Amino acid sequence: MKVLGIETSCDETAAAVVDDTLHVHSSVIESSIDQHRAFGGVVPELAGRAHITTIGPVVREALLQAGLDPTNPAIDAVAVTSGPGLIGSLLVGLSAAKTYALAWGVPFVGVNHLEGHLFAPLLEQRDLEWPLLTLLVSGGHSLIVLQEGLGQHEVLGETIDDAAGEAYDKVARWLGLGYPGGPEIDRLAQGGNPGALALPVSMIGDDFDFSFSGLKTAVVRATQKNPDVAIGDVAASFQSAVGEQLLRKLRRALERYDVKGVALAGGVAANSHLRVLVRSLADEFGVVSHLPSLSMCTDNAAMIGAAGLYRFAHDGASALSLSARANWQLVDVA
Amino acid sequence: MSYVRRCTSDVRTSDAGEDFSRVLRSGDIVLLVGPLGAGKTTFVKGVARGLGVSERVTSPTFTVVREHECHNEWGIATLQHCDVYRVGSLDEVLDLALGELVEESAVALVEWGDIAASVFGRDVLRVNFEVESDEVRVLDVDGAIDEDRAVALATWAAS
Repeated sequence: MKVLGIETSCDETAAAVVDDTLHVHSSVIESSIDQHRAFGGVVPELAGRAHITTIGPVVREALLQAGLDPTNPAIDAVAVTSGPGLIGSLLVGLSAAKTYALAWGVPFVGVNHLEGHLFAPLLEQRDLEWPLLTLLVSGGHSLIVLQEGLGQHEVLGETIDDAAGEAYDKVARWLGLGYPGGPEIDRLAQGGNPGALALPVSMIGDDFDFSFSGLKTAVVRATQKNPDVAIGDVAASFQSAVGEQLLRKLRRALERYDVKGVALAGGVAANSHLRVLVRSLADEFGVVSHLPSLSMCTDNAAMIGAAGLYRFAHDGASALSLSARANWQLVDVA
Repeated sequence: MSYVRRCTSDVRTSDAGEDFSRVLRSGDIVLLVGPLGAGKTTFVKGVARGLGVSERVTSPTFTVVREHECHNEWGIATLQHCDVYRVGSLDEVLDLALGELVEESAVALVEWGDIAASVFGRDVLRVNFEVESDEVRVLDVDGAIDEDRAVALATWAAS
């Protein structure tokens, strides 16, 4: 069984062909990020308009790369992100997916974007062992998820204010750096002193929740008080504080739950510092670390196709009346 | 007449938000204006608590608008928490159609609302956040204030 996956929840227009052995036949990603750079972040309306112009060519390219005839592809289902995300962007993907499904006479499945991220590690390591702890960190989300098996997930904790990637973006904008903030801060932090600024590691409570709003404020205040501090030192101090908070919670989860592995997912999983931290934590606990390649960490349609295959097998097709849900939480996924 | 409240901690800023919920009426649009880290989201969390929102209020930056169901005695059924931080042009703020979002027993709190102040016209309230020191925030309310509201705001400021 082959599924066409479509993802348009934020600034990436993506399409992929995946089969039920989780083999990825093609995965095409077109980012509108250049258009957002001037604004220091994703501009919702721009994103929606960009998706409209790119969705057709991206799907066609994904079908061609999978060796399929775009006019009459041997596709058995269409899976699409129906939430969470920017409403205008989601609607473009959803409308396109419904149209293809109707035209080709195949079922259509709405997928939760966050559940999609949880499937990403599987696309690179199919014999993955359960249970698995996943740290899902991106521009819009930050959560720790316990997975007992495919599609069986329990959210242990999440951010009570800003997402980790959002803190990166806001601090980068404050420092006058480009968008997205993560790669820039990561690069600048390489030569910086992580002890230069005394920043709080928030959320020392014994739950699994995160908080990044106070840290963002602390960076603003600290740089106002020490205007001469080198930008690399600010970047390193901030990055170290984010990493320490994420790791502290992940460590607590590893102490509490007996798992076989730890996985990283979401755009912030591309952060070099975080990858080093998670790998060494996994080694310390004697579990396997799953650090997906960078293209699998960030938004892509292969993970949506994989999650769609699972949801189709378990829950069947979605109704063509399915609407987009901008704030669809992972805990509400049946 | 100005309505000013000095908050000496995060908790006090949140309390100011909780008390501010009693100033609100269905259909209100409130712009929250202040720099990064001035306490806007903390204030919104307080307002949400006052309006009887049971779910967690997190940053709406990513999805621009988050809708929360409210349970209170003064008839506000929905809180629209918006963040126009990422919005690129005034047209996009118009596209959000906040006027329509608050039509049915709802109120809207808009972070970074000053970017789009011209879109909202005069019929909005405005809470200005000033950072006085690490801990202290000064909140100053102005905008569309009729007689009833002036009484409620005076009570709020004196709390």
